[in-house]
Formats: sequence, structure tokens, C-alpha cells
Amino acid sequence: MKISSRQIWEQPWGYKEGILIAAGIGLSGLILQLTLGNIRPTLFAAPLNLIIGALFMTGLLAMHLLARKRPLGRWLTGVKATLPALALLLLLSIFLGVIPQTPNGSETALPGDLFTPLGWYRMTTSWPFVLTCFYLLLILGLTTLRRTTRKQEWRDIGFYLNHLGLFIALLGGVLGSADMERLTMRVQEGQVEWRGADANGGLRELPLAIQLDSFLLEEYPPKLVVIEHESGRMLPASRPESYMFEGIGKSTLLAGHVVEIMEHLPHAAIFSDDSITRVVPMLMEGATVALRVKVTPEGGAAPKEGWVSNGSYLYPHSLLRIDETRSLAMPLQEVKRYTSHVTLYTEEGHTRKSLIEVNKPVMMEEWMIYQYSYDDTMGKYSDTSVFELVRDPWLKIVYTGIFMLLAGALFLFFAGPKKSRT
Amino acid sequence: MSWDQFIYFAMGALLLWGTGAALAYRLRHKAVPSLLTVAGLLIFSLFIAGLWVSLERPPLRTMGETRLWYSLFLPVAGLLTYLRWNYRWILSFTTLLSAVFIMVNLLNPDIHNKVLMPALQSPWFAPHVIIYMFSYAILGAVTLIALYYLTWGKRIKEPARIMEMTDNLVYAGTACITLGMLMGAIWAKEAWGHYWSWDPKETWAAVTWIAYLIYIHYRLKRSSSNKTAMVILIIAFVMLQICWYGVNYLPSAKQSIHTYSS
Ligand code: HEM
Repeated sequence: MKISSRQIWEQPWGYKEGILIAAGIGLSGLILQLTLGNIRPTLFAAPLNLIIGALFMTGLLAMHLLARKRPLGRWLTGVKATLPALALLLLLSIFLGVIPQTPNGSETALPGDLFTPLGWYRMTTSWPFVLTCFYLLLILGLTTLRRTTRKQEWRDIGFYLNHLGLFIALLGGVLGSADMERLTMRVQEGQVEWRGADANGGLRELPLAIQLDSFLLEEYPPKLVVIEHESGRMLPASRPESYMFEGIGKSTLLAGHVVEIMEHLPHAAIFSDDSITRVVPMLMEGATVALRVKVTPEGGAAPKEGWVSNGSYLYPHSLLRIDETRSLAMPLQEVKRYTSHVTLYTEEGHTRKSLIEVNKPVMMEEWMIYQYSYDDTMGKYSDTSVFELVRDPWLKIVYTGIFMLLAGALFLFFAGPKKSRT
Repeated sequence: MSWDQFIYFAMGALLLWGTGAALAYRLRHKAVPSLLTVAGLLIFSLFIAGLWVSLERPPLRTMGETRLWYSLFLPVAGLLTYLRWNYRWILSFTTLLSAVFIMVNLLNPDIHNKVLMPALQSPWFAPHVIIYMFSYAILGAVTLIALYYLTWGKRIKEPARIMEMTDNLVYAGTACITLGMLMGAIWAKEAWGHYWSWDPKETWAAVTWIAYLIYIHYRLKRSSSNKTAMVILIIAFVMLQICWYGVNYLPSAKQSIHTYSS
């Protein structure tokens, strides 16, 4: 660090002023937070976000034109303003990452400690956080604008992609967050639904309707585990083992016991009364999967044979007792895929058949339709599908920024740092 | 291929990497150490490929599986640095760090099965995690360089060259975490309806990213101190560790309202 005789606040400014200004932003945020509380997200909803955005951009441009050549303008577009601002965002983000967050609008009371008035349980809508974002956006915007006024070289492409990209994505994300709508919709097989429920359970009519033609759920093959009968704990306790069914005739070692698969009924009915359990093939709704297995216990006791099943909403599950303390059991199967075949209708009378599954949403009338859930009490026999509908009018803006940043990252990777800096 | 065979592949790869690293000190030419390192990489990749086939899904789901990729990419980062900047010691550093992660996997194996929950069944899954693991390896190598710099201090002959190498690696590593993060955002939009939800994992990814941005911008000033820059790198790597697995132990991980309202 160079030793200078410069007094603080005397131009040209350096890191000291940067730290003080960043701290000032943080403190102003804190005072606003203590007096006003968290920013209500709805406050940012259209058209106010448009107005704030327009004002911000105008202010940015005016500042650029007026202060570009002044010491303050130079300083605000430099590393010595950037670093303290980034460090402040880093600090607030660390709090955000450590302290559990409570969603906005949730009715639960916040704890009565110091973090509540500071807004740290809802960091992303707290004044210090939002002000810091806008301060960074100011530096970012001014830096980008100033870059355009000097002689351009090819390296500047990377600079614009990264800085303008982040500016667009961040501003779009901050301003657009309040305009995003998320609704859930439950539809039964064969029925049509055009109303969605918001987070508070209020119903809303939509410009589109979903008809559920069929719902399909696919499961992974059944698994076998050895459990402690009393506690239901899987064994060995230190590192539970499980075996996934691969075919009849296979055998495996499970927690010390040899398990051999004798018979497999993908669709079975289970009847048990008192001591007798009968398992029969049955091709109907509510049927469960059952495996007949032979277990040869550790230590050479006599083998046990019997049926194991995880049951269904219709039939009980069934265990195979190995000895006094242990049983062979079949946990619920893991879900591999679930898919809704739907017909979508719009108000204008358009119709479209579609397939919606996790990771494959469908777009209709500004709404993205997601496979969200199903009736899990019925498992694979669920005849209800739950969709989530999301509308985000600012998404295109944010994606523009994200794709610029993606390109900027490629540039950063291949071009590397500026040479001959030292 | 199953985890029971991992030890043979891991030991074979480590033997080749270790020999390559040792010979890098001795030999003038880079060919033999490089070839040994590549041979080790092939053996290790063979195991990953076999595991991929036998699990019928990309082996990227569990912590142990991501450690596997990390152990693979560390020698890759070391080799690239060795070839580009001729540092003889870098291969032994990256081999050692890779060995640590291999040991963790051998001593504390995860439970591996074929199950891949629907949310993870996406074309974004593999590139997202692989690019993150690659960037973690590069940034791990950078951290070793920073530690080397800070412990050897004045005895380092060409600090400018070390700084140049560090800058190059940080640019590459930061580019990769940017790519990984943004792919994650696009994927999150497809899977959960929003590109950014400030979930603890996402927040720590942002924290890590900001920390490396601080390094990049700090280094732009000619008057900046090398030592401070290296300290920033070490802090940034601590953030990265929290992002990778540390989040699981933070209070924010139990993101349940009920735990905190009593
Ligand atoms: C909060 C966000 C950011 C701010 C406030 C910021 C600010 C700045 C400033 C003031 C400069 C110096 C410009 C100059 O001296 O002409 C700069 C340069 C640079 N920034 Fe950023 N930046 C931000 C984000 C980013 C991001 C996201 C990246 C990359 C991923 C990045 C990479 C760079 C690089 C590589 C340079 C050097 C460019 C060159 O000289 O070619 N910055 N930034």
C-alpha cells in the first residue's frame, strides 16, 4: 500500500472512502430496517417496479453524463468502490446462508431475539440487503457505461458480457420478483380444472384449463432390508444395507443373512387372519408387490421361508420374521417417474394435448405448468395430479442477462486475465 | 463395476500419479510424468465409467460420488498447470489432495444404489455437477499454491510468475463456477419453477462466487499486495467447502419453520 499524505475524503478517494461509504449504505439500511421493518414484496409489484426501474436507469444515465469526468464518477467506476461493496454483499450473504430464513407472508411468529428487528430472518427483503444490491447495481451500471466512452478493443466483449449481463439479470431479478405468481392446481383423472390456489389457499381463475387424461407413476424395483423388530431400525445400524430386486433365483447377503428370492408377484393381494397370511396373484387396483424369500440366518440356524411385501392402501404390509429380534422387510418403493397426460384449453378455444412430468414443464398462455405432486396416500394408484403454475413476466429479461453471463464465463475461461499486468 | 473394486483402481491410479509426481522432480522432460499421470487418469475414469454403467445413472448423486470426480479432476488440474507453467511440485500437491479424497471414500463409503429421484433426471444434472467438480479441483490447486506462497514467503524466487499462474487458474476456475451456477439456475427453473430461491446451497454458491470475484477485482489494481490476494483465495476456498458439504451442518439447513418458532 502506498503511503500518501492525502486526508480522508480528500480526492482521489481510495479503499478507506469505499469502506466508509459501504458501511454508510449498510447503516442507512439498518436504520430503515429498524424503523420500517422488512420491505413488503408486494410493494415492488407492477407498476411500481417499472417506475423504480425507469427512475434508476435515468438516474444512472444522468450520473454518468454529469459525473463521468469528475473525481467521484471516476472513483465510483473503480475497484476501490467495488471491493468494499462486494465485501458487504458477501457479509450479508453469509448471514443469509447461516441463519434459517422464514418465507415472507408466512404467519408463524419470528423468534423474539435481536435478529428479528434486524431483518435477518428475511434477509432478501431487508433494507440493508436491497440497498447493497442497488449500490452494486449503481457501480456496475456506471462502470459499464464508462467503458463505452473509451477506445474499444476485443477484450471489451468479455467485459460487457459479464458486467452488462450481471446488471440485466440482477436488476431484472430484483424488480421482477414481486410480479412472479405461483399457483397450485389439483386435478382428478377425467376432470377439468381452471382455478389455481395461491400460497394462502385463495382460489384464482386462470385463462387456461387443464384436463387430466391419465396419471402414471413408475416405481423402482422393490428393496429388501433387515430390520430390528422393536425399533424398526435398519441393520447393520452403522451402515444399513439394502438389496434391490433383480430377478427370481438371485441371492444376496443382507446384514449377515443369506437371502434368496424364490418367487415374485408384481400384482398380489394379501389376506391375513390371526396367524395365517395368504398371498395370491390379483390383477386389480390396489394390488401390491410381493416377494417370497428364503432367509438363512447368520450362524446356521434353520432357514425361514415366506412372503414379504410393502402393502398398499388396500393391503397390509407383511414382514418375514427371522428370529426373536430381526425381520426381513420391504420399504416403500422409490418413485422413478410420474407423468400426467393432459389436455390444455385456453379461453380462446385452443386445445392441446401434452405430457407433463418433473423437469419437463409445459408453457401455455404465459404460464409454465409443472408436475408438482400427486396423492401420495394412494401411491402409484393416485388418480390425482397436482400441478404448479408459474408466471414470471420478467423471465425473458433475466434470461437475457443469464445467457450473456454464460457467454462471458466462456470468454473468461478462454481469454484469461489481461497479460503483462506486472 | 461396484464400490468393492474401487480400491484396486484407486491404488493403481495413485501409484501412477505418485510415480509421475516423483519423476517430475527428477526428469528434465515432461513426457514421462505426463504420460504416467494420464495413465492414472484413464484407470480412474474406467472405474467411473463402469460405475456409471452398472448404476444405470450418472454417478453424481451422493457426496461420495462427487468426491470421486473431484479426485479425478485434481490431477487433471495439476497436469495442466505442470505442462503450462513447468512447476515440478504441483503434481505432488494435487496427487496428495486427490489421495485424501480417495481415502475419505475408502474409509467412509456412501450407500450407492440405482435410485435417482425424478428432480435429478435432467440433461442438466451431469454437466452441472461435473463442471462444478472441475472448478473445485482447479480452485483446490490454486489454494495449494496460495498456501505454498504464504508459507515460503520471501524465499520464492519469481513471485510475479506465481501470481500469473494463480490469476490464470482463478479465471478458469471462476469461469467454471459461473457456468455451473447458471446451469443450475436454468435447471432449477425447469425443475422447481424458479431460477433462484436463496436455498442455503444456492446462497453459499453465491457467496463462493462473490469471494472469487473479489480476488479478480482486487488483482486488477497494480498496487495490490500479493499476500492479501493469496489470503483472499484461502478465505474463498473455505466458502467453497461450506458450499460443497458444510451447508449440511449449518442451522439454515434445517429449513423448517417449526424448529424455530418454539
Ligand atoms: C457486482 C458486480 C461487479 C462490479 C461492481 C464490477 C466492477 C468492475 C470494475 C469497476 C472493473 C474495473 C474496470 C476498469 O478498470 O475499467 C471491473 C473489471 C473486471 N471485472 Fe468486474 N464487476 C462486477 C462483476 C464482475 C463479474 C460477474 C465478472 C466475471 C465473472 C467480472 C470480471 C471482471 C474482469 C475480468 C475485469 C477486468 C476487465 C478487463 O480489464 O478486461 N466482474 N469490474
